[in-house]
Amino acid sequence: MLPNRSRTSVLVFLLPPLLLYCAAVLFPILQSLFLSFFSWNGISDMEFVGLDNYVRMLTADDIFWRSFFNALLYLAICLVLQLGGALAVASLLTSLRRGRELIKTLYLLPAVISTVAIAFLFVRIYSIDPVGLLNQLLHWIGLGSFERAWLSDVNTVLAAVSAPEGWRFTGLYMLIIYAALIAVPKELEEAAVLDGASKWTLFTKIRFPYIRPVWITTTIMATTYGLRGFDIPYLMTNGGPGQSSELLTTYMYKTAFTSTDFGYASTISVFIVIECLVAVGLILFMLKRKADS
Amino acid sequence: MKKLLRAAAVAAAAALALSACAGVGASSDPANVSPTGEIKPREISWLLSRPADGAVINIMKKLADDYAKDHPGFALNLITTPDRPSYIQKLETLAAANKLPELFDTDATPFAQQLAKQGKMVDAEKLLKSLDIYDDYRPGALDYQRFDDGSLYMIPFQFELEYFWYNKALLEKAGVTAPKSLDDLPAMCTALRNAGITPIAIDGQDQWPLERYVAYQPFREAGPEFVQKLKKGEATFADPAGQKTVEWMAGLGKAKCFQDGFSAQGYSDAQNQFTSGQAAMYNIGTWELPSLATDKLNSAVRDDIDFFTLPTTDGSVTSANEFVSPSGIGMAVNSKTYDPLVSDFLKFALAKYPAEYAATGALSPTTNVQTTVPANATPLYKKALETADTLGAKQAMPWDTQLDPTTNGRLQQELVLLVQGNITPEQFTSTMDSTIKQNAPKFFK
Repeated sequence: MLPNRSRTSVLVFLLPPLLLYCAAVLFPILQSLFLSFFSWNGISDMEFVGLDNYVRMLTADDIFWRSFFNALLYLAICLVLQLGGALAVASLLTSLRRGRELIKTLYLLPAVISTVAIAFLFVRIYSIDPVGLLNQLLHWIGLGSFERAWLSDVNTVLAAVSAPEGWRFTGLYMLIIYAALIAVPKELEEAAVLDGASKWTLFTKIRFPYIRPVWITTTIMATTYGLRGFDIPYLMTNGGPGQSSELLTTYMYKTAFTSTDFGYASTISVFIVIECLVAVGLILFMLKRKADS
Repeated sequence: MKKLLRAAAVAAAAALALSACAGVGASSDPANVSPTGEIKPREISWLLSRPADGAVINIMKKLADDYAKDHPGFALNLITTPDRPSYIQKLETLAAANKLPELFDTDATPFAQQLAKQGKMVDAEKLLKSLDIYDDYRPGALDYQRFDDGSLYMIPFQFELEYFWYNKALLEKAGVTAPKSLDDLPAMCTALRNAGITPIAIDGQDQWPLERYVAYQPFREAGPEFVQKLKKGEATFADPAGQKTVEWMAGLGKAKCFQDGFSAQGYSDAQNQFTSGQAAMYNIGTWELPSLATDKLNSAVRDDIDFFTLPTTDGSVTSANEFVSPSGIGMAVNSKTYDPLVSDFLKFALAKYPAEYAATGALSPTTNVQTTVPANATPLYKKALETADTLGAKQAMPWDTQLDPTTNGRLQQELVLLVQGNITPEQFTSTMDSTIKQNAPKFFK
């Protein structure tokens, strides 16, 4: 416990970042909330429309719901690739004796490449005419019937734009989980092995419970990043073909800056904020219940 | 907390109200094209959407330098964003913040018309007449810049003609000839596909090239008025001219006219397919003459390339010499910052611009200069330029400059689905008609 005087000084030092946070994060959110009750195209007079924008969004906008479900699927694919992939690679890494640093660096590399470069790279990889890497590989291994224009096919495009985002950050989460895994006390593991625990039991009963706090943090990070995913789908397909790869974020952006419907775009952004809060709440709730049980 | 929220809401409202006031108070009379007073040299800006090292920018830079010699302190700051969607976003955001520079580029879009109605742009017709250069301009070049009510607020810097470029050898190989009618196109694509040739190379990523196609049938069937009515909801896709284009687009898709996976392919991908002899046709304007009609073109296809203009149809109300002939994005003059200096600079630059521009081998928006054919040009270059002299009075407007932005965005998306066969013509018709019904009233009150 800090003495009283020192607590005041802590508050004094905490105040500037708090104010900065309010100005940079809370104020825009409040302003969006305010704008969401108006119809405004940027140059016209602002017209108060009450809850009209919300009614339109929830009941009359087919693209909104399409993008919402797309965003959920996009999130699911990203989470599987990022968290599942990261956990798998990190676990394998701990059992590796040599070359760990090299592999870590290689996996982390995509996270530092610019998004635009990644988007262009994957457009080439998915291309059919001229034949890109993916279709070429399928052809070589005898799965020629699966060759397709991945980004033009309405059935594959969403997965195709999610994969680069998932792939990109797998290395980053791998690094975090790996750091947690190597912090698991060796004595615990050795004791369990002496008691005859299998590798799987070792993982589920010792390692995973031990890294749970880190796992929660990474899940929240990956979920919020996934929910606000924007750049790769926007750059690769611009939401197309049709609305097949439209996410809430790209739809909001287009509503604001292409349709200049700032009021309605604010309504969508308010929805995204609520969605993120609900998602984080759900994760905390589920993991807490699991830990309690 | 509640109090804090309320305070923040009030602050936000106040900030918005203040910026709105600033917008109304400062604008000056858009009809006053000859401001009086002393010319005080300063730096002025032109927000534009043209290629960074293109002829327009290079010439205007040079003219600005010449002008600065007699007017020390003058400078022209050119801020270009060649990528059109990004540019439009930038322009609209600046307009919303009431921070438009002295000069800015825009098409004759519904958004621009709202700016004009609010008195934020100088009347270009009056301006050009006051400078005594109005009659030098090609009527088509000015008409392209006009709003539907005939008013003119943008000044053109280019004049382009859009052709269907085709590869004679590939057509011969497939046993077909250049189409006489738009309706021949699907059958022609089938024949080319059967010969293993990609019929048409198209830049699907940028979306406007596919949107050109949807404009063709209605232009022939019902004339340029169709889109003017359609965008306001006075005509629909369910009308005969609308249905004709919907069915035709679906037919182009069924005949696999465009390269596989076209929706994810960009401008240079499409051009490469055509110039490397893989695709038989390519619909693009004369701005590509340097790469299609000079010795820069791949020598393997150079002698096989020719072009035809937009084919007509049976009972077409527009004639063969009327097609898409845009004068490019136009330049608007901000009325709020229009002063003796801007006026004097425009007088200087607009008088000298056409001759400089024609010397680069491009078509000037005016008729008072002769375009210089480059030394490395193929005979096609001259033919492409000369077609400009025989143009008819009507022109097909690109729909992306006509529709309200939301309808336009939806149309671009639905067109890809229609051509790919993901939706039926009926679904397309009902989606688009309801989109127009919902969005048009906001823009065309």
